Amino acid sequence: MLILKSFEPYLFLLPSILILFVFLFIPLVWNIYISLHDVSILTIIKEWNFVGFKNFYNIFSDSNFYNSIKVTLIFVFGSVLLQFGIGLLIALLLNQQVRASGLFRTLFIIPWTVSTVITGFSFKFLFDDSFGIINYGIEKLGLESIGWFSDANLAIWIVIVANTWYGAPFTILFLTAGLLSINPTIYEAAIIDGATKFRRFFHITLPLLKSFILTNLILVTVWTINFFDLQLIMTNGGPLSSTTTMSLYMYKQAFEFGYFSEGASVGILLIIMNIAVAFVYLKLFDVRNKNT
Amino acid sequence: MAKLKILITISFAIFSLYYISQMNILPVIAQEEITLTAIFAEPKERWDMLLENATKILNDRHPDKTIKIDYRVLPYSDTRTQILTAMAGKTPIDIVSLDQIWLGEFAEAGFLSDLTSNTQKWNKSSDWYEQNWEGGLYNNQVKGIWAWTDVRALWYWKDLLNKADISPKELENWSGYISASKKLKQFLQKDGIEGMHLVGAAHSPDMWYPYLWMLGGEILEKREGHPTKQNYWYPTYNSNLGVKALQFLKDQVDAGIKPQINHYWGQEFADKKFAVMLEGSWLLGQFDKSEWNTLKEKIGMIPMFPVPNTSNTTTSTLMGGWLLSIPETSHNKELAWELITIMLEPNVLIPMLLQQGYLPTQKSIGEGQYATKLKSTIPYYEELVSLISLGKGRPNIPEYPIVAEHIRNAIEHVYNGMDPKQALDEASKQSSKALGW
Repeated sequence: MLILKSFEPYLFLLPSILILFVFLFIPLVWNIYISLHDVSILTIIKEWNFVGFKNFYNIFSDSNFYNSIKVTLIFVFGSVLLQFGIGLLIALLLNQQVRASGLFRTLFIIPWTVSTVITGFSFKFLFDDSFGIINYGIEKLGLESIGWFSDANLAIWIVIVANTWYGAPFTILFLTAGLLSINPTIYEAAIIDGATKFRRFFHITLPLLKSFILTNLILVTVWTINFFDLQLIMTNGGPLSSTTTMSLYMYKQAFEFGYFSEGASVGILLIIMNIAVAFVYLKLFDVRNKNT
Repeated sequence: MAKLKILITISFAIFSLYYISQMNILPVIAQEEITLTAIFAEPKERWDMLLENATKILNDRHPDKTIKIDYRVLPYSDTRTQILTAMAGKTPIDIVSLDQIWLGEFAEAGFLSDLTSNTQKWNKSSDWYEQNWEGGLYNNQVKGIWAWTDVRALWYWKDLLNKADISPKELENWSGYISASKKLKQFLQKDGIEGMHLVGAAHSPDMWYPYLWMLGGEILEKREGHPTKQNYWYPTYNSNLGVKALQFLKDQVDAGIKPQINHYWGQEFADKKFAVMLEGSWLLGQFDKSEWNTLKEKIGMIPMFPVPNTSNTTTSTLMGGWLLSIPETSHNKELAWELITIMLEPNVLIPMLLQQGYLPTQKSIGEGQYATKLKSTIPYYEELVSLISLGKGRPNIPEYPIVAEHIRNAIEHVYNGMDPKQALDEASKQSSKALGW
């Protein structure tokens, strides 16, 4: 009975562990297995030869892969910065005692409930070089239309804008929950002590939101690294591979060109990148914990 | 005691049910029920039309069976992935629709059944246009039947050309095409209408190949000395002819024609956003069927891609379309083959061709007794059919998707100012590597 009692917590955890094992651990091991074998569209139903790290070598000898890393960094940095900045700003505004703040909160959540496919197509049509409403407005003002999707320097920023529109509501929702968890008496005490709005923000709001902010940043960054739906729909990685992020590069290798092993290898690299990002954020979190 | 009674009752009930299920109570009226599964590419209407009639005929031929077709119609981009996933997972699928460019990789991977003996018994191969029949072959085995085709041609709005005082004849050669584009821009820009359409989307190589072919060039050629396969395909698209063909696209960009990144498969033309567009014969499907009778009054069609010189160059075009194949995983190959043959019978196929505006791959439909109906219904039918003999298909080798990606990159680079020779040479190096050289 005593033995059973000591195992009780693990028994409660067992369903979750089983789910993680089946849906996380097995696919991960399978992915590693594929990345070390020669699996392509031509060999998928034949024997898979062990090739060691040849697939990783192929990936690292492809200049397009390095380009995808650069694009990923721009995409992730731009998206996270804008999603977090806009999300925080709107969350702060919604936290003010304004009329119909609940309605606004609901309205701001709508983009997050829309599927990425619809978001992708909507922005594709909005910014279409020839028929988009944005260029229509620009031309009506007597200006020259802009090649949003044909300019290799611009296209990635349009995808970032679309991703921000889609992703910022999550930050709004997350940080609003954080703001609501702050005890209002702390602000009242600070006001009595004569603290300005800025001081209240930097010395009360931000420190107390810290854990929410870091969790939000980890989630948004990891999601953005793995995200490829928007790029696929809006630009298919072009022009000149300027919107081919690592995740889209992975998808194309596996499902467009049929190089499943190379795709799996990029998948492993993406996992490593995600773990590294989470580690960096957690380290930051640790440092801040020690400082406070 | 009560519990024992319940237990005995339940056991008896279970035993009775099992016994009944094992008995063949109605051997006389029981029919074998067979469900054929299929994966097809959108649009769904064409498959609905084909299968409604074909399933009925198939069932009539097999009164002892109840045959149902469980088919999924997927967007073009998902079809290949879904077929691939199904084949890799050994999911039993009985029929698939294949884009001609997928045939090589699917056949090489061992996904497709060999239909050679079926077609020999069927004895209808001579009724197919040669290019269309060969499009279904891989290593001399029949792996698919090209069911219908499409060709790219030059479409224009008559009133817009008139407005800019351009004769359609001017569009037939490269220099005329470029000068017409400048005139159209001058006349139509203020109305928000673009003059010429230039493809900048993922299928941009498809719109470049005809220029390469009309000059005598080829995308790939078989060469001796391959490290592992001795005689294998080598990229030749970067020849002088390829460079000349790509230079024509560059000239269009330099003349102010904007490559269109987004493609709406002729809808942009039907919406009168462009005065001139090189597009597939499916463009007709973008117009309402009620307009087809009077369409020739509004839009013109030249059955060609512009040529460098009309006096000494024969035009060329790209042929697409769909093949029907039977996967190796099929459990009902004979029935699946029978269904395919029914779907290809003129009385089943023609109503769908008429509805969708597709072109036949069978001579008897294209030119023979059935052609009258098609001629009277599909605008420019005869001109479009005349292009079939000048049309070519893309290489159906396993590495084609990656080679096409290299060519697409080269075209994009040229659109962005790179020299055509440099762009094609760089792409060719990558293609050589992908082909194992």
